[in-house]
Amino acid sequence: MSIIQTKDVKKWFGDFQALKGITMDVAEGEVLVVCGPSGSGKSTFIRCINRLEQHQEGQIIVDGIELTNDLKNIEAIRSEVGMVFQSFNLFPHLTVMQNITLAQIWVRKKNRAESEEKAMELLERVGIPEQAQKFPGQLSGGQQQRVAIARALAMEPKIMLFDEPTSALDPEMIKEVLDVMKELAKSGMTMIVVTHEMGFAKEVADRVMLFDEGMLVEENTPEEFFNNPKSDRTKLFLSQIL
Amino acid sequence: MVDLIKKNIKSLQESLFSSIGSAALTIATTYLVINFFRGMLGFALTSDKDWLAVLNNMQLYMVQAYPEEDFIRVWLSVGLTFVLAGLSIGIWRSDDRVKSSQVFNSFFKGGLGVLFFTIIAPTNASYMGNDGSVITEEVFSMDTRLGILIPVAVFCVIFFSVRFTNINFTVNSSDMVFFYLFIPVALLWFIKLPTIQLDQNNERIIPEPLMPIADTTKIPWTIIFVAFLVSYFIGMYLKNIKSIKSTMSLSWFLLPLLIFSWIFKKPQIDMSVVLGSDLPIFGVFLLWGFLVITFVNNSIFKKYYSTYLGATFLLTLVGVFSGLPMLAKTCLLLIALFSVVVPAVSTSSQGKRSLLIVWAVALVTLTFLLRGGASDTGIVVPGSSIFGGFSLTWLLAIFGTYVSFPLGVLLALGRNSKLPIIRIVCTGIIELTRSVPYITWLFFASVTLAVFLPAGVEFNLIVRVLMVTAFFSGAYFAENIRGGLQSIPKGQYEAADAIGMSPFQKISLIIMPQALRAVIPTLVSSAITAFKDSSLVTIIGLFDFLTIGKTVIGNQSIPVNFVGHDRENLIFVAIVYWIFTFTLSRRSMKVEKKLGLGER
Repeated sequence: MSIIQTKDVKKWFGDFQALKGITMDVAEGEVLVVCGPSGSGKSTFIRCINRLEQHQEGQIIVDGIELTNDLKNIEAIRSEVGMVFQSFNLFPHLTVMQNITLAQIWVRKKNRAESEEKAMELLERVGIPEQAQKFPGQLSGGQQQRVAIARALAMEPKIMLFDEPTSALDPEMIKEVLDVMKELAKSGMTMIVVTHEMGFAKEVADRVMLFDEGMLVEENTPEEFFNNPKSDRTKLFLSQIL
Repeated sequence: MVDLIKKNIKSLQESLFSSIGSAALTIATTYLVINFFRGMLGFALTSDKDWLAVLNNMQLYMVQAYPEEDFIRVWLSVGLTFVLAGLSIGIWRSDDRVKSSQVFNSFFKGGLGVLFFTIIAPTNASYMGNDGSVITEEVFSMDTRLGILIPVAVFCVIFFSVRFTNINFTVNSSDMVFFYLFIPVALLWFIKLPTIQLDQNNERIIPEPLMPIADTTKIPWTIIFVAFLVSYFIGMYLKNIKSIKSTMSLSWFLLPLLIFSWIFKKPQIDMSVVLGSDLPIFGVFLLWGFLVITFVNNSIFKKYYSTYLGATFLLTLVGVFSGLPMLAKTCLLLIALFSVVVPAVSTSSQGKRSLLIVWAVALVTLTFLLRGGASDTGIVVPGSSIFGGFSLTWLLAIFGTYVSFPLGVLLALGRNSKLPIIRIVCTGIIELTRSVPYITWLFFASVTLAVFLPAGVEFNLIVRVLMVTAFFSGAYFAENIRGGLQSIPKGQYEAADAIGMSPFQKISLIIMPQALRAVIPTLVSSAITAFKDSSLVTIIGLFDFLTIGKTVIGNQSIPVNFVGHDRENLIFVAIVYWIFTFTLSRRSMKVEKKLGLGER
């Protein structure tokens, strides 16, 4: 049973074609790692899944709902899909606690006590319950990214999208974020992760995809992808990155 | 003690005389400041200045020609504002505490300043007499100097020596507001001021006798202070009641309407109309709104909702052209628009409750305005307007900001909108209002605006001025806020989208709070500009605070001749403007600091 299906998705930025027909599907509970050189369209693709970018041709169906211009569909899908950004994008004027409870209170219409309880639970899960009353600006990058993960999880999404979650972090902080993501993957969450962390892909991914120039070049299990890649483009990519 | 002085001297040396250049600058600036002060004080104290021209005209300054028998309305509005302020301070009471040593230290420093300026005050000053000769006289005698120096020196010594005792306590910073206000109110009962008295021949008795301040000033202020204090305690007591904060915000929102339409206007109201027509209409529409909110999720009602909407709009159309009372027509239109919004908002019981409150408040306000604000005023004042002096300046400043700020927010959002029509209209309004001088707009308000309004609609000159002011400063606010909006990174919009917020929630919870705090300094300077620009209304014949000082008092010859004493009045006006703008800018700095808590 696939929870995300895309058929021949195409997207242009002006004259530049960023996606040249992507067809794929993701099963429930699957962890998918998307990699590829920069400018290959991998970020654009996952941003299309919750409509931060608008695709111009093709079809994207998330959890049985097709993404169209209908605002109701978009909001329904966005509340089922959590997203973690490269630059965290926490709300700097709110405390960590408020960052996490805001959407629960206003979008899910929960009451404050209930959502604060949930927020504490999530902060414990990502390992920083003691930072609840601080502002994002007072936290380190790794802590901020973990708060961002908690914020996305607070909506109880079925799918989590990660857009290069560790690229803006110092090397020492990458591990603490990856640990949280590994724990999340083991708990059975459906995840699409755009990343250059090949170790993460090897360890937890169910499938690995390689994007190049807006096309899906290779789709494979991690063992095959790293040890026995089908296409020459993958071999080149791996030789540069490893 | 010796160490302390040594330390202070050393730090002075480091900050003021660190190099030859800075030493020169320090000396030059000190020389300028001292000379400026001596010149100003000498100017103010020479005997050709008559400061009674200011003191004697306080009433004129405050309310111009407002009739004395209706002063109670003015006092009530001031009192009401203070009661609300007291409640708010009580409810939002901060936990910040001020150390006594800090307070004593600031007293000590203030005393030192007074000492210094008393010592350097000029003994003699000269002015030009009527025949062109220069007259030099003693303005600051040794007796006066010692009379000030000795008590202030004692005051300084007391507050300096406190730091060597173990008197050490902290005061809540909110409580300090009352202490600072208590001082002037208490002083009202003790100071005596020179007062003009006339003998049988209507000649001034000179020297002026010292008289206590009139009861009509000190009694109302004392009552207001007590009410302020009492409401502060009530506010602290009410602190924990649910939804008290939103009620307070709503009260602040409605206060200007109340003051304007009921307290200042003294509306002439026919009770039979109120009971026979207004209240029933109010009741019917309240019930209607209540029913719509309650049954909106009912399946049968839902099915026929579009039919109901159509019927309501048809009824509105018929109603507007029928002979129904104005209130009923407006309410019909309102309920039609309201019914469109209801299904979207009343999805939860919380949403339903707040929707009902909004509806009730909207109806009350509407009834109120149509009956109170639109009826003729019972106050008769010579001249074109019931407002004058400081009350006019204050009204223009407060009401102008109050209307133009939300307008500015809307215009800024509209200018950033994706819908071309809204964007073009908002850009057009902003560019049109900004590109024409304010004075031109004032002439437009006084001369041309009546032509543009529909037949039969007529507004008071002040209301017309408020309308153009709202748009004019609204346009400036809009551009400031747009600057703030542009400083918000795209990621913030995306993050809000990604957690499923609606566009309205995204703007009001994420974008606007950040955009506004980024532009607080410019917003405050716009508000200050609007406050000062209000004095331009003089050119269309309104008597604002400045005009009273410059023109009215400058031409006053009955009962006492103050002709030619406009310099004293101008200085007084300048000081009052300065006090208000300075307070505003200091407050805004505090707010900035408080809000900047989580900034990067």
